[in-house]
Amino acid sequence: MKSKFKKRDMLGWLVMLPTLILFAFFVWEPLFENVRLSMFSAIRYELKEFVGFENYRRVLNNPDFAAAFKNTFSYTLWSLVIGFLVPIILGILISETVRFKSLFRVGIYFPNIIPGLATVWIWSFFFNPGKTGVLNIFLSKIGIDPQLWLTNPKWTIPLIIITLTWKSAGSTALIYMANISGISADLYEAATIDGAGIWKRIRHITLPSVFSLAKTLLILQVISVFQILYEPMVMTNGGPNNASISLMMLMYRYAFRDFNFPAGAALSVMICAVLIILSGIYMFATKKRDE
Amino acid sequence: MKKSTIKKVLGIMCSITVAASMLAGCGNDTTASAPAEDTAKEAEAEAPKEEAKTEDAAEEAPAPEEAEEIEVTLGIWPEDTLADDIAMHEGFVEKMKTMDPNVTYTPAYYKYATDTFMPMVESGNCPTVFESWFTEPQKLIATQSVSNITEELKAKGWLDSMNPSIKALLSDKDGNVYGIPRDGYALGLMLNVELFEEAGLVDESGYPIYPKTMDELAETAKTIKDKTGAAGLCLLAKDNAGGWHFSNIAWNFGATLCVDNGDGTYTSNLNSPEAIAAMEYVKSLKWDYDVLTADPTNEDWGTGFTQLGTGNAAMYIAANDAVNQPTQVNGLPVDKLAMCAIPEGPGGQFSLFGGTPYMFSKDATPAQITAALDYIEVMGKGPSTSDDAIAGIEADIQNKVDAGVPVIPRFPCWTDQAVVDAENKIIAEKGNVDTKMFQPYFDATSSEGLRSEEPGQTQDMYAELTKVMQSVITDKDADVTALMETANENYQKILDDTFGTK
Repeated sequence: MKSKFKKRDMLGWLVMLPTLILFAFFVWEPLFENVRLSMFSAIRYELKEFVGFENYRRVLNNPDFAAAFKNTFSYTLWSLVIGFLVPIILGILISETVRFKSLFRVGIYFPNIIPGLATVWIWSFFFNPGKTGVLNIFLSKIGIDPQLWLTNPKWTIPLIIITLTWKSAGSTALIYMANISGISADLYEAATIDGAGIWKRIRHITLPSVFSLAKTLLILQVISVFQILYEPMVMTNGGPNNASISLMMLMYRYAFRDFNFPAGAALSVMICAVLIILSGIYMFATKKRDE
Repeated sequence: MKKSTIKKVLGIMCSITVAASMLAGCGNDTTASAPAEDTAKEAEAEAPKEEAKTEDAAEEAPAPEEAEEIEVTLGIWPEDTLADDIAMHEGFVEKMKTMDPNVTYTPAYYKYATDTFMPMVESGNCPTVFESWFTEPQKLIATQSVSNITEELKAKGWLDSMNPSIKALLSDKDGNVYGIPRDGYALGLMLNVELFEEAGLVDESGYPIYPKTMDELAETAKTIKDKTGAAGLCLLAKDNAGGWHFSNIAWNFGATLCVDNGDGTYTSNLNSPEAIAAMEYVKSLKWDYDVLTADPTNEDWGTGFTQLGTGNAAMYIAANDAVNQPTQVNGLPVDKLAMCAIPEGPGGQFSLFGGTPYMFSKDATPAQITAALDYIEVMGKGPSTSDDAIAGIEADIQNKVDAGVPVIPRFPCWTDQAVVDAENKIIAEKGNVDTKMFQPYFDATSSEGLRSEEPGQTQDMYAELTKVMQSVITDKDADVTALMETANENYQKILDDTFGTK
């Protein structure tokens, strides 16, 4: 009996082996190397000598670090304020729609198939602060002066998040719609027979059903937005005066502008650590609530 | 039962095959070092190149009478869209073949970019010779990504012909030289003559009435904005180029932005009254005169030329080595571009100068470096007055004339007077512009006002200055003094972190 179990076990491991090798080679080993790199000095990618946490100290000492750290949390917060509910609302609205459902589905998903860089370029033209900016042209038609848009430090991050939401809300909404379509029709029928209107149906059937999915998507959104890079890089280059610089942008500058790969590695480890902590807090909080 | 065992075994074999084939793709094929776009012919030629790289191979070299096969990959090859330039370079390659048939020159166009460079170097795919940016040499030297070419330059007799200031930009602290200048440059002010004409800012002979002082610059820009609607001046504030341009403006206000303490440490001086006055001036260009383009925080080196070339801005701080940008690239007629000096300020008139470098792969052998230098000589970019070099200069100038690029004298990156004279003679014969359009620029840049970049961590200084520029351009109530104080503190922190405290 014992030997039979072992044989079966071995076969399972053999099936998993290719995956394990690939993971080890493409994911775990680079991750480990990155942590190692962050504790060494280097010429190009070649490690020179162990320097402990010196690279971390230098990163923390960088005048741009505080702004990047604060902004990254600001991006995350704004993305939850602006972007978290939009897909849920879209998903519910389209699920409740009877006519032209496919048209709306394609419509909301359409921004997803536009390449990311093209999206930020399009929105950059919209947000151009001069008289030729698309939004400013609209405003001029109703007699309002041109606005600064992205060059107003207070608006920069929310506007970038609006761009981000415009691009990605559709795909998340589709996930919610799939979830909603899995809710038993009997529940709605029973509720309707009991006299529940649309709002009550949403309140008491739809929302509780999507709640656990929303929890998962929330943490995925936090992890994703925390690593925001190309949107501010293309739209504002982190400006004005660091108003939109993110931690990933700072890391990119270390690695690919200054060729300081150890400092870039140190910063990426720090980002990873923050995300692990955030995820941990979230898991702890939701688990406690579930219990 | 048997069937299921076969299935299992087959499944495992398939999985292992997939994994093995994927891992095999990650292997480091040391013989495949040609860039992706290179041809099979180049791949064939790789073997001798690799042999040349190893010392062992050199020691085991066969009979001395057999000439060594050398392959030089030319990152300085023109990009695909520049058909005339490619034809010219094909001519150079043909000429090189007759001079030394053992050298194979392979096109390997590479446009330098910081995000692609290091992976290319690490994978052994760096072209033998490539062109970089003015900002990069010290960084590339520090990361040991380029070859020390001092001995090869000595052997060709070029070492002492290089402009000493440009040589310093391309050397390490021990005096080893790592590159040669393609062109020297000095910052000036490029003018869109069409807009000057439209604004009535031309003299009786039709030459633009260019600004000579900082006040005149603001007034001229204002006149142009009022009369044409186009921006008077394109100021950069997107990336470090903003701080780079600002440093020249600050000099003209009398500022020195960083002080070398002489003991290996540096002191930031961004909060001097002169530097603050210069930043106040920048602020006034936006809020008092309103003469800038719609969004200077989105303007970089390239968009600046687009604004100038397409008639959206009348003036732009730029250098003589980029006259192709507004004209050939952005369509400004060749006779509608003029240049003058950066206007004088309370502190005098200065022009920041430097050189656009050719640099050499860290993996290049001495023979390959010498062959690449020979090619550059035939291009007419070296300090040589040989027939081939003169022919190269002629071909280059003719090509510029055909492409609608203003032909103006190069900034003297080589001090050899014979070369300068030979080039000027050809320019006088074939020139396609009225030299008076550029006279104010050359008058200023041949004077005492040339100044090389500030010492210290210059790129970080530019970054700090750019941030201040972004603030003063986007916020009417920005406190310039406070912002410059913060920038000064930040920059001092970086200097202390890098070089230690005084």
